[in-house]
Amino acid sequence: MKTLRLIWVGWKFHVKSLTLSGFFILTSVLQPIIFASVAYFMFRAGAREGTLLYVALGAGMMGIWSSTLFGSGGAIQWQRWQGTLEYCIAVPPPFLLVILPLTLATATIGLYSLTATLVWGRLFFSVPLEVAHPVAFIVALPVTVVGLGLLGLILASTFIMYRNANALSNLLEYPVWLVTGLLVSLSLLPFWVGPISWLLAPTWGINALRDAAIAGNAWPEIAMCLLLSAVYLVIGYFALQHFERLARERATLTLT
Amino acid sequence: MAVSAVARLAVVAVVEAHDLYRTYRTSTGTLRRKWHNVEAVRGVSFEIQEGELFGLLGPNGAGKTTTIKMLITLLIPTKGTASVLGYDVVKDAREVRRRIGYVFGGERGVYERLSGYDNLRYFAELYGVEPKEIRPRIDYLLDLVGLKGREQERAEGYSRGMKQRLHIARGLLHDPPVVFLDEPTIGLDPVGARELRATIASLAAAGKTILLTTHYMFEADALCDRIAVINRGEIVAHGTPAELKRDVVEGAVVEVEVFGLPDGTVERVRDLNGVTSVSIEEREQAQLLIVQTQPEVELTQSILGTLDGASVGRISRREPTLEDAYVTLVAEE
Amino acid sequence: MRENLRVFFIGGYLSYRALFNWMHWSYYIPTMLGAPIFQILFFAYIGRYAQVESDEFFVVGNAVQLSAMAGIYGMAMTVGGERWTQTLSPLLATPANRLPLFLGRALPLIANGIITSAFAFFVGWLLLDFELTWSEIPALAVVVAVSAFSCTSLGLVVGALGLRMRDVFFLANFVVYALLLFCGVNIPLDTLPGWMQEVANRLPLTHGIEAARGIAGGSSLSDVSGLVWTELGIGAAYATAAFVLFKLFELEGRRRASFETI
Repeated sequence: MKTLRLIWVGWKFHVKSLTLSGFFILTSVLQPIIFASVAYFMFRAGAREGTLLYVALGAGMMGIWSSTLFGSGGAIQWQRWQGTLEYCIAVPPPFLLVILPLTLATATIGLYSLTATLVWGRLFFSVPLEVAHPVAFIVALPVTVVGLGLLGLILASTFIMYRNANALSNLLEYPVWLVTGLLVSLSLLPFWVGPISWLLAPTWGINALRDAAIAGNAWPEIAMCLLLSAVYLVIGYFALQHFERLARERATLTLT
Repeated sequence: MAVSAVARLAVVAVVEAHDLYRTYRTSTGTLRRKWHNVEAVRGVSFEIQEGELFGLLGPNGAGKTTTIKMLITLLIPTKGTASVLGYDVVKDAREVRRRIGYVFGGERGVYERLSGYDNLRYFAELYGVEPKEIRPRIDYLLDLVGLKGREQERAEGYSRGMKQRLHIARGLLHDPPVVFLDEPTIGLDPVGARELRATIASLAAAGKTILLTTHYMFEADALCDRIAVINRGEIVAHGTPAELKRDVVEGAVVEVEVFGLPDGTVERVRDLNGVTSVSIEEREQAQLLIVQTQPEVELTQSILGTLDGASVGRISRREPTLEDAYVTLVAEE
Repeated sequence: MRENLRVFFIGGYLSYRALFNWMHWSYYIPTMLGAPIFQILFFAYIGRYAQVESDEFFVVGNAVQLSAMAGIYGMAMTVGGERWTQTLSPLLATPANRLPLFLGRALPLIANGIITSAFAFFVGWLLLDFELTWSEIPALAVVVAVSAFSCTSLGLVVGALGLRMRDVFFLANFVVYALLLFCGVNIPLDTLPGWMQEVANRLPLTHGIEAARGIAGGSSLSDVSGLVWTELGIGAAYATAAFVLFKLFELEGRRRASFETI
């Protein structure tokens, strides 16, 4: 119970902190809108039949991933720079319970991206915003956010060790967009990409959202997303413990 | 002897450091990296008893912050052990963290975009303060550190002194029995610093065990029950302020203001019988000749005699202060 | 003249080194080489899925855009970075002629850009359906160099604006994304709304990419020379604009003593 409270309070705290950070919000909204526009134009110019809602969701998810990625790696770096990282480590709760609300918060901020791309699409590209299975959609959203937040947790645990985490985080943007099939059907990619994509929460998230919005059964995918989240949680817990200890040994917590 | 040994057995030290070492690896250069080791802390040992206000005194770079970071579980010692309230700082880090508060101070270390109140609220949660206690505790602490009325403003707008006070409030949120303060009065104006020292003294009076690091000798002298002087990673002396003054610098200090110190004066003074040390402080128009003499010796006339007729200003003779002891201690290598 | 050349080469080299001193090669190489691979793959596959254009379209477009990215970030960081390291004021106080000074900075960035795009073409050839004949390479190199130059000029404008703004990195990011949207990097220009095409024609990269696609499709350098000259002209125009801005802000900065405030 106390754990849940801590996560809740921490999540609220970080969402507020991130929302008030102009730079973060702008990149969570502006970048996704631009990429979404590129995607909209590409699909409009192309020969494939299909609904632009597909594109809207994919572009929105791209934004959620960017938020998570930048948020987790960037947030650690930003905490280090702000001088608050040390204070977060020397507290009684396990480090997991300090970082988890943060990565969940950054994934939540990603919802701004999703909203922005959908609204933008509606306004300028006539994207139809009808959702086929509203209940599944409403459920799929937070499940996706949680899945991404936990994937962000694993990233954060690596970034806490390395000062130049941001460089690595930038490198993971395009690959994950590609491999999780946000805008491209996975059937087009080499066969070995499939298994990799199944290990990543965004794959299931986007499929769940698509099925809920356009046509299909989202529930199996929602379940898979939750299952993956649990796995990430376990990995993240051990990874964080390990890396935090290494950081204390090598004194990398304050180095900017 | 026997009595004090028994007394020691009965009292369990609250903070213990045994032979702590901490080495950093740093590198220079980009293409061809050269690694070398910096030994920041070399074999530091001390004990702090319950309710003591213990001072760790030393110049910048002496290893105070590194030592304190090891005790508050932020750094793992390269060698040696330490414990707080019986819990090992490495193996039982979590237990230690529950029971300590620490204040580092400085411009950084607060969540800038949020208010002082939000910052405290968040850490109160992290420190496991009971929900019903949080509000009243924060109110009490805001009052204590003098931030009442400013708590809803964003922390980024706080002055350095206000941020310092916020740090202090944060360190005390969960009413810890042991508090670590790293140079807490740095950056505060004289009035603020004085108020903070009064607060620290009252915390000690309330029964908390406190470790305070500082490079202000007068602060250590005024506040601390016992002091350890640290220089270049090693403890060079420890004891009560009175013991330190007595052990290291006995006798008196004669200060002579000279306008144009003649050559060879220092050597001549040093040669005088009863002189323990001589140093010179440059002032704008003059030099201050500081002579530490053994007790019961009156050397003023002899010292004046070595000055070869140079003009002399103020002459004074005084008790050694902790500053004199400190200067001697950290100068000796 | 000799003085100018010295400022050009030495100043450029030193500042390039200074800025990248904090960037270890283990950070620099993945960024410069890793990112292009996935950017090209990402857009090429969308292209395949959406059934728009060909692999070649996306490889050429992105390879040229990637050469430009270094120019924009690099230039913006030159000014932004100076500000952070407090060297801007003394720098502007030197009598060194500004033109060779900043061109000196541009040169390494252009070279950087050429290497990046060469790598990008290689990736395209290796992983996608894209072919290049040896004869096309020199012509492409010229087009890439010109495009990198014109983007570096745009980067200079961004840097100049950075003298006034608090956050030059954000503006640099925004400009790079805008180029991605407008300049026909991944979208056939004629499918964009009219007003966007108008904007595109006034931005760097657009003509360079068109020329590059022409060459990859078999045209010779002289066939696309009109486009290349236009690209060069656009670059010169932005560089001029940047210098005007510098003069303006510098005068204002001196008046308001605002260079150091970040």
